[in-house]
Amino acid sequence: MTTTRSAPQSTRSTPRHRGRGAPSTSGGGTAFAGTGTLVRFMLRRDRIKLPAWVCGLGLFVVYIGAALPQIAPTEDDLAAASPMLSQPIGRMFSGPAYGMTPPTYESFFAGGYTLYLYLLAALMNILLITRHTRLEEQSGRAELVRANVTGRHSRLTAALVVAGITNLAATVVVAGLALTNDFSPTGSLLVGAGVGLTGMAFAGVSAITAQLSEYSRSASGLAGIVLGVAFGVRALGDMAEQGGSTLSWFSPLAWPGQTAPYVLDRWWPLLLPVALAVVTIAVAFALQDRRDLGAGLLAARPGRAEATPSLGTVWGLAARLQRGPVLAWGFGILVLGVVDGLFTQVMLDSAGEMPEALRQVFGAEQLADGYMSFLAVFGGYLTAAFIVYAVQSLKSEEDSGRAEAVLATPTARVTWGLSHVVATGVGAVLIMLVTGLAVGAAASGVTGTGSIFGDAFLAHLNVLPAVLVTLGVCTLAYGCAPRLLAPVGWALVAVMFFVGNFAALLDVPDWIFRLSPLDYPAQVPVEDIAWRPLLWLALVALAGVVLGLVGLRRRQISARS
Amino acid sequence: MNSTSSPVIETSDLVKTFGSTRALDGLDLSVAQGEVHGFLGPNGAGKSTTIRVLLGLLRADEGAARLFGADPWDDAVSLHHRLAYVPGDVELWPNLTGGEAIDLFARLRGTLDTKRRSELCDRFDLDPTKKARTYSKGNRQKVALIAALASPVDLLLLDEPTAGLDPLMELVFQECIREAQQAGATVLLSSHILAQVEVLADRISIVRSGRVVETGSLDDLRHMTRTTIVARTDRPAEGMQSLTGVHDITSGDGEVRLEVDGEHVGPVITRLAEHGIQSITAHPPTLEQLLVSHYGHEPEPEEVAR
Repeated sequence: MTTTRSAPQSTRSTPRHRGRGAPSTSGGGTAFAGTGTLVRFMLRRDRIKLPAWVCGLGLFVVYIGAALPQIAPTEDDLAAASPMLSQPIGRMFSGPAYGMTPPTYESFFAGGYTLYLYLLAALMNILLITRHTRLEEQSGRAELVRANVTGRHSRLTAALVVAGITNLAATVVVAGLALTNDFSPTGSLLVGAGVGLTGMAFAGVSAITAQLSEYSRSASGLAGIVLGVAFGVRALGDMAEQGGSTLSWFSPLAWPGQTAPYVLDRWWPLLLPVALAVVTIAVAFALQDRRDLGAGLLAARPGRAEATPSLGTVWGLAARLQRGPVLAWGFGILVLGVVDGLFTQVMLDSAGEMPEALRQVFGAEQLADGYMSFLAVFGGYLTAAFIVYAVQSLKSEEDSGRAEAVLATPTARVTWGLSHVVATGVGAVLIMLVTGLAVGAAASGVTGTGSIFGDAFLAHLNVLPAVLVTLGVCTLAYGCAPRLLAPVGWALVAVMFFVGNFAALLDVPDWIFRLSPLDYPAQVPVEDIAWRPLLWLALVALAGVVLGLVGLRRRQISARS
Repeated sequence: MNSTSSPVIETSDLVKTFGSTRALDGLDLSVAQGEVHGFLGPNGAGKSTTIRVLLGLLRADEGAARLFGADPWDDAVSLHHRLAYVPGDVELWPNLTGGEAIDLFARLRGTLDTKRRSELCDRFDLDPTKKARTYSKGNRQKVALIAALASPVDLLLLDEPTAGLDPLMELVFQECIREAQQAGATVLLSSHILAQVEVLADRISIVRSGRVVETGSLDDLRHMTRTTIVARTDRPAEGMQSLTGVHDITSGDGEVRLEVDGEHVGPVITRLAEHGIQSITAHPPTLEQLLVSHYGHEPEPEEVAR
């Protein structure tokens, strides 16, 4: 290793270096050769992705700035809603809740929403760094590049430079757009800097995890675990005390919130993410010096040499392939449901002062019942989204040629399709059942009303046939016109989402409501359960599946025209 | 073994179009029981499409295809009990190990012979504990080959099965195919490399632009296996054209280049030796050369592109 490094060292001093490949960073040494070219190359590859991320962050700021005055037209309305942020459960999910007595639009923005800007910035950097370092090494493309005049550290350096540029852009965009909301300059700049520096800190973290594993998924997964732990530590720390407790200070996600934008406006907490970024980046370079290209510092675990008996059939294969998505989506939907369930008491407490618009969504009369019914619909369209995603995996099995290999065995096409449809359906039912139980447990726990438990569970069961209509529609589309699967499936989910959340607020015509399967079941527990629509929905779902499988039997597989 | 005289694979006048592309254009193919049949053609000639029709994944627009006398589309499932398929570009589930994929395919086909499976893993030098996402192309190919060879089947449909394998593994593959043939299996071996098919095949069909242009035993096609010889000699090699089977002589600068039919190579070498050979190279014709020399024009660009 030392010889390969010292040999090019001598060529560096000679003027034979061509301009474009020459080292352009101040780090010096041939280990950094070609960094400038790589930076330009990475920016070019990400010319859509990174601007989209930054614009997304900016849109979030604009949206919150515009939505707050809509939901709470006066600062009194805002004060009425502030328990949602300042109570312990609220602090768990939105931060230390500075400046809530009384809140202003800007402090409500900072207290309620900026945590998610920091979270998104961290995620953006984890994906960015992993994509440009470990994924490139895993695919072998990095080898192709390294064979040219580029140094050992050029790729990581370039990825970090790109992260720096992106984070700077995010800082400017977020701060600038916060200013356009008429928020005060120092606070806005603090929020923007918080976004950029948190991003940089997590770029450093993923620079380390990219050294550890041979696989990009494990690398981003490890960084994701760090992010998750940071969120958990901050949640517990912020829950303990308004303004955060000592525990909060152990989480990188808490630091930007501790600047208390628009309230205390302090800069010094931002030294912490700067320090974390510097330390993690230094460690990452040190680790990179100790490994070969393509190698990881953690050994890859071998898997099973033989399949378990359960993998011996198409049913076992479908269950195995759908297991990951079911667990991932199920966990996400469950967590969202539980969080919303925990908010039930806060909702009831602030019911009197709740803005009219918000009350309409849940039904003014029996607020707790209306809220449970809303949560069932909420879980319903998220599960419908899972179904679309899961049925799409049939198409990717077909497009990749894996379906062909399975169908070359004595496996009937219908059996193959049905195995995936059943695995998806069972997954969707499980997600709804478990979420219903968990929402019920959370809601009855915080309110102390036992009957809410049963109501919530029943409400989730009640929308299940409507959710399964998605499976029918998707199977039909996949079996008869696979190209329509994604547009039709996602359009259906979008309609369910729109009707469930906004249609009542916007006075849209009735027929739009009727487009959403979730609109047909009775509003359990506000209303009594109505069997007839449930039966019809179940029949529609079944008919879709049957017709889809008939279509699949008749059409060709992997026919690339 | 040869109790039935009817062919295992028989297609007549098979036509398959994808939009404006005519992938199969009246393809006639016949593969007899127990033979290794080389299915030779440039990329995009219609080899994979034919195999997909035989698997019942695609439906032919016109013509007929029979597999063991049955219809590959209608009787796909029962036919698939008797065959195994290896695609040219193997895709596996990234989060399953190679071993899991092998077992899965074997069990889907009916039986898993664990002894045979581990023997094949050894012979092909495959580590079955690795996740498929970490396999190279050659290793993915091995997984599909082992899965196909692990179960006793009557028919092997192999679509460029050794793409990405190193020469040693290629030898192991050839052994395995001979064993399968001795066990009574019929093999359809598609390839675009003439030399590979020559080693194994009893009969060869050459396909081009969706139709079979030549079919027969290796001896029948001997006239096509013309060797190119380039030699540098001490004295100018004259009078070579008088030898039988020699074509297209060019010479100059102390070097002679000529083509000679496969069975007449010996006398040519002897004659060249008389002139004092400094260096000599001989290589068999590429498929493209064959196609150009026998069918008069270059393969259509679309064939090469696909």
